[in-house]
Amino acid sequence: MNLVIKWFILASFAFLLEQLITIDGITLNFSFLLIFLFVIHYFFPDIEQKKIAPSELLPILFFLIIGLVEDLFQGIIGPSIISKTITGYLLILLIKQLFFHWTELFKAVIICLFTMIDELIYSFIMIYFFNISVGYAMLLKTSLIKALVNIPFGLILSWKKP
Amino acid sequence: MTKRANLFIIVGICLIGFLLISYQSKGFLNFNKLDISIVISPFQYMKNFFYETLKLREENRHLKEQLYQMLLQQKSYHELIEENKRLKSLLNLKEKRKEVVSIAKVIRVGSNKFFKTFWIDKGLEQGVKVGMPVITLNGLAGKIIFTSANFSEVLSLTDPNFSVSVRVERTRVEGVVSGTGTNICVLKYIPLEEDVAVGDILITSGTDGIFPEGIKVGVVKKIERKKGFFQHIEVLPYQSETKIEEVAIVKNLI
Repeated sequence: MNLVIKWFILASFAFLLEQLITIDGITLNFSFLLIFLFVIHYFFPDIEQKKIAPSELLPILFFLIIGLVEDLFQGIIGPSIISKTITGYLLILLIKQLFFHWTELFKAVIICLFTMIDELIYSFIMIYFFNISVGYAMLLKTSLIKALVNIPFGLILSWKKP
Repeated sequence: MTKRANLFIIVGICLIGFLLISYQSKGFLNFNKLDISIVISPFQYMKNFFYETLKLREENRHLKEQLYQMLLQQKSYHELIEENKRLKSLLNLKEKRKEVVSIAKVIRVGSNKFFKTFWIDKGLEQGVKVGMPVITLNGLAGKIIFTSANFSEVLSLTDPNFSVSVRVERTRVEGVVSGTGTNICVLKYIPLEEDVAVGDILITSGTDGIFPEGIKVGVVKKIERKKGFFQHIEVLPYQSETKIEEVAIVKNLI
């Protein structure tokens, strides 16, 4: 129960910040940080647990909820659910590969890369289905800014993890 | 739970997502935007408070200067308006009045992932409706795209999805101004032979049925006459989107 409350508060705070802070009119993507943190905490718990291979169902449910909330803020249900679920699942697949050394630099690269993947999936869905005009250079620029902003926050929040 | 089962769940979520999106894009299904302006506005007011206090003295001095200048101009304008009315009545032309629905304060910018938007503190209860033009003292600022009881979201003039039909004040040539996503707009559909020069002022033409005519939009910044039918014209909007503090919502023509 405590964990649910903890994640609820964290998610509320992230969405509040997402609505409040903009950089030159660009909204930020703190919701991906929630996914990153959840996956990190779920697959690398503080206390050694009995479960050798934790179920992936709970993280997928978490991605779904985060995506749904984000979509509700935009008024279009679907794009964030898809982007968050796919990005989150790719992150799980990566985390399960044991040959990676989770250094701070590696984490920074992962946060940057996966934020961009999340943004690009979302954007392409919106462009394809809703014919929204947006320049591809601008799209890359905004995705990169969001990704770069996520790096310091992600590193601080997942300090010394795993 | 096996890996295959997880994959099925992911594919299922994506399929349902795509189904929902396609229904929404066709307009068969609509979801209301979750509006948390009530929760956010205290934080935003706090953020703005410190910024505004610093600017207040300078703004007061500037406004006093403007007031004296306006008082000097008022008399001649009044005479011109009277003359204009008289001439219009002679020509049997109907006067199209620009009716201000409400004055609103900008409370925050850009909560929308794709569109360049800002939020104002007036909504349905103050008579604000979707599609209404939004102006400032400098010129056109955008149009309303979402309203809740006490808050509204405004699509900025510089958004690529924003278009307004305009007229070059000097030569009366008509075209369409669209946003580009940067702080520059483009003037479209001006044939190569038409006379447009750098520095020309653009005003709304009123032919789009949304924006009343005569609102200042921007000034021509750069002209390129490439191959093709139309000129490539860059426009600098009168109202910079980063400096909008207060706006007026005007009744649209439709």
